Amino acid sequence: MTNTAPITAEELNRPGAADLAARAQDVSKVYGSGDARVVALDHVSVGIPRGRFTAIMGPSGSGKSTLMHCMAGLDSVSSGQVLIGDVELTRLDDKRLTRLRRDRIGFVFQAFNLVPTLTALENITLPMDIAGRKPDREWLDTVIDTVGLRDRLRHRPSELSGGQQQRVACARALASRPEIVFADEPTGNLDSRSGAEVLGFLRSSVREMGQTIVMVTHDPAAAAYSDLVLFLSDGRVVDQMGDPTAEKVLERMKGFDRPGSDA
Amino acid sequence: MMAKVTLRNLAAHKLRLVLTAVSVVLGVAMVAGTFIFTDTMSRQFDDLFNSIGKGVAVDVRGKQIVDGMDATGAPVRPPVPAAVLDRLRTVEGVKNPIGNVTGYAALIGKDGKAAATVGPPQLGVNWVETGGSSDFKLISGRAPAGPAEAAVDESTLERAGYKVGDQAKILLQGPTHSVTIVGVIETPNLMGATVTAFDTATAQRLLLKPGFFSDISMDTTGVSQEVLRDRVAQVLPAGMEAITGKQLVEEGKSDIEGFLTFFRTLLLVFGLIAVFVGAFIIFNTFSMLVAQRTRELALLRAIGASRRQVTRAVLGEAFAVGVVGSTLGLAAGYGIATLLNGAINTSDEGGLVFTATPVIWSYVVGVTITVVAAYFPARRAAKTPPVAAMREEVRPAQRTLRLRVIIGTVMTVGGAAAVFGGLASGTLELLGVGAFLVFLGVTMLAPVISQPVIRLLGAVFPRLFGTPGRLARENALRNPRRTASTASALMIGLALVSGINVVQASAVSSIGQSIDKQFGADYILMSETQMPFSPEAFKAVSQAPGVERATALYMGQINVEGKALGVQSGDTAGLVAGGRMQVVSGSTQLGKDGILVSEDVAKARKWTVGSPVAAQFADGARQQLRVAGIYARNDLLGGAPVLPLETYLAHTAQPLAVLGLIDVANADTATRQGVERALAQFPNLQLQNQAELKETFQKQLDQLVVLLTILLAMSIIIAVIGVVNTLALSVIERTREIGLLRAVGTSRRQLRRMIRLESVVIAVFGTLLGVVLGVAFGAAIQNGLADSGLQVLSIPVPTLAVYVVLGGVVGVLAALWPAWRAGRMDVLKAIATE
Ligand SMILES: Nc1ncnc2c1ncn2[C@@H]1O[C@H](COP(=O)(O)OP(=O)(O)O)[C@@H](O)[C@H]1O
Ligand SMILES: [Mg+2]
Repeated sequence: MTNTAPITAEELNRPGAADLAARAQDVSKVYGSGDARVVALDHVSVGIPRGRFTAIMGPSGSGKSTLMHCMAGLDSVSSGQVLIGDVELTRLDDKRLTRLRRDRIGFVFQAFNLVPTLTALENITLPMDIAGRKPDREWLDTVIDTVGLRDRLRHRPSELSGGQQQRVACARALASRPEIVFADEPTGNLDSRSGAEVLGFLRSSVREMGQTIVMVTHDPAAAAYSDLVLFLSDGRVVDQMGDPTAEKVLERMKGFDRPGSDA
Repeated sequence: MMAKVTLRNLAAHKLRLVLTAVSVVLGVAMVAGTFIFTDTMSRQFDDLFNSIGKGVAVDVRGKQIVDGMDATGAPVRPPVPAAVLDRLRTVEGVKNPIGNVTGYAALIGKDGKAAATVGPPQLGVNWVETGGSSDFKLISGRAPAGPAEAAVDESTLERAGYKVGDQAKILLQGPTHSVTIVGVIETPNLMGATVTAFDTATAQRLLLKPGFFSDISMDTTGVSQEVLRDRVAQVLPAGMEAITGKQLVEEGKSDIEGFLTFFRTLLLVFGLIAVFVGAFIIFNTFSMLVAQRTRELALLRAIGASRRQVTRAVLGEAFAVGVVGSTLGLAAGYGIATLLNGAINTSDEGGLVFTATPVIWSYVVGVTITVVAAYFPARRAAKTPPVAAMREEVRPAQRTLRLRVIIGTVMTVGGAAAVFGGLASGTLELLGVGAFLVFLGVTMLAPVISQPVIRLLGAVFPRLFGTPGRLARENALRNPRRTASTASALMIGLALVSGINVVQASAVSSIGQSIDKQFGADYILMSETQMPFSPEAFKAVSQAPGVERATALYMGQINVEGKALGVQSGDTAGLVAGGRMQVVSGSTQLGKDGILVSEDVAKARKWTVGSPVAAQFADGARQQLRVAGIYARNDLLGGAPVLPLETYLAHTAQPLAVLGLIDVANADTATRQGVERALAQFPNLQLQNQAELKETFQKQLDQLVVLLTILLAMSIIIAVIGVVNTLALSVIERTREIGLLRAVGTSRRQLRRMIRLESVVIAVFGTLLGVVLGVAFGAAIQNGLADSGLQVLSIPVPTLAVYVVLGGVVGVLAALWPAWRAGRMDVLKAIATE
């Protein structure tokens, strides 16, 4: 993958683009009206390649979380379309959207990821339990061993460290074999060592298990774990970068941090 | 500054504070309503007595010799001979002395039923043209004259369905009397009493004794009431007394005031129970508000607010809630009183009496309970360490429950001891304090009890309801204190209701057992109102075909060693057989001076067969009696000494039959119909066999239970509001968690189910706690009263099971709104990282 220009709406609809796990087509998201009007997403089109680790980068307030929420069916769009596989989210009612999230999407948030009254294991199997599905034992074991939490499964979240909690959250996101996992700043609250553990784990789940992951971050070091970085600025996709390193990403980011530059 | 914080918080949490205030409103409404209503009744009675005493400067009457009441509820006094009236005319200052006759007379309605039932007296009087204590005017018709005429008060006439000129029958102590209704009398608001007037000679014959008056009232030509009283007293024969009109009015008022005080206290107790339950809700709400605001409170502390200031800020909020709740409660109380007054009084003169008392009570009770209940959360708020403001996650330290267990156990045990002490000594206050302590103690223990019980109750949830079920159980378990105090509020009402049901069931069983054991006759005869009735009925019954024996049981009072002693009388052979009396020693041959006493009385008074008993009767006569025999405890006849019938009748102006025992040759339908036909002119009487008698008692007790349950309903409603409140606050508190659950795919329906199940488990826990405690209370009361006729403990399991199920239903209902809110929660807001 080379450093290319941002994907356009037309490119997304090319026949060869079929291997996208999710895509946003010409998505806009506007909050408020009048003086308080904020355009959080401004005609954004992105495709998330299947089986890859995609990072979404950008300065604070650039619309990263909004994009993720819209793509994951947590929030509605003002205009445009969002697809997970070939299901168009913008057409689904709450009931179907809930089911889609439950069965086809995994989530990792920055914090408050776990239900405090459930044990680590119960948290991991939560989406499947809610669906009334039996977890795939073998797969569950693989996931648990990969996150390295076998001896902590009976603990409640309050008895786990922040890093361990995030790893449980990652395990939950992966345990139901979702088509795609969305992670919003999963390491934002962690020290660098715990953060590295979580990121390493996410990367290996992509490499070894073929998982599709989208991660929102503003940390270049975190972005370096990914296969592809999409850069967002002022609600627009302004660039993308393949095979990122922390230095290259940092360099690119510096451009955004200066107001008025680039975009 | 802190005042501003208080105000802002009040504004920010309007909804939850409204819910909290509601729990104050309901309790206060009951308290305020009680005062306004009873004050109004009191005023109306005062009006009645004032109008009765208007033309009376002095009243002459017989001195009361023995404590006791006649069939109209008035004290038994010897009658005043008519000759006294003539003598009074000679006293200077006496103006227009009038002889009054008052007795029992009940108009039988057109439908054959007595026009009034239980409660206010049914009076027969002599018609007095002007003045007198019965200050009646004619509305229509004319004054009664001669033995076959009567005038009736307007509302009674209406209720009975008659008009002037109609023939009517009147129940008396003597034979039922036929009259023509010739006039309608206007009376002051009689508060439900009925009045039938005859001419004086007829009244004396029917109600009292020819040649005698009940009392003589008179006006004054100008001298003061006191002076006139002293002058009059000098001409009175022995055994008569003179009192001023003022005193007469005061006596009437204070008699009624006694009843009203009892009534007010009863209602007030239930109001205060409701307020007490409300305290739990307030405590819970403030605890939760403080927990949610930990960070903000810590910030205040960090920037220099003192502990006192933080406490005061929270208490300030409580004070405001208390004031608002009390004000609304006072208004609601006024509404309740209006409804009650409207239901009881047809003629509403002068409206409600609204004094400062209900206002003061409302605010004192409402504000005090709110501030006291919020005090503990406020203190906890003040203890928030400033560092909590900086902490990532604020987890309030779970303080150890050990101290709680110790205090709770001590309170429960102490309370239980007080309950038993109260029962043993018959001290209601001690019983009440004991029950209160037990409630507090169990409430303190409830968090500890809740864990295993809820684990058990919720054990089937995961299997039946999947993950929402498991989450619901865990949520109910996660904050034991909150769950416990929510459940405890429900516990109180249910404990009382269950306790009442246990006592009722025990009473029904005990009475049934007594009837089986002691009921030796075929039928029992009682008035529907269980008031004394005319012995004439027995004459009629004895003549019915197939009747072998009709025994009247009379009640009365005599003085023994200067103290009143309740006695009974009747044909001894009839009582022995009909009541299955067992004579332990001596004999039932009483002669004229022998009495039969129960073992208990004999023991207490150290009487043995042959012991002399110096007695004085209600008419003042003294006679030396002797103990002829001693009988074993008897549930039907109680423990009162039995006098020879002849002796009783000789000294009793108005014999009071309380029940009759009837033996027939053959208890078949024909015989029964014959007896009932013979009783046709006594529509107030009821003939019952054993089974019917049991049923009657059961029905009466059922009514009592319904009444008490209604009085407790307010407490239960408040507790349900508490469940709603707790759940709603929990939902807000768990915003993030709920958002997370929604994000990972929990449907709204699953979320609602989760909240609902949590609610159900809390409600059922509270109900169970209440039912168990209620059974314990009921059993304690039964145990304490085992010697007073409550010998059988009976636990109404089906009824109690229904309560538990209803507890679950209440849980479902209480969850409706919080669950709806949880379902509508914005997922994004929930997972936002601020
Ligand atoms: N609920 C909201 N209401 C109004 N504006 C919002 C809301 N959520 C986000 N925004 C605005 O949208 C823009 C993008 O926000 P966000 O997607 O959270 O940015 P990022 O995650 O990149 O920091 C910001 O300007 C933010 O202020
Ligand atoms: Mg963000």
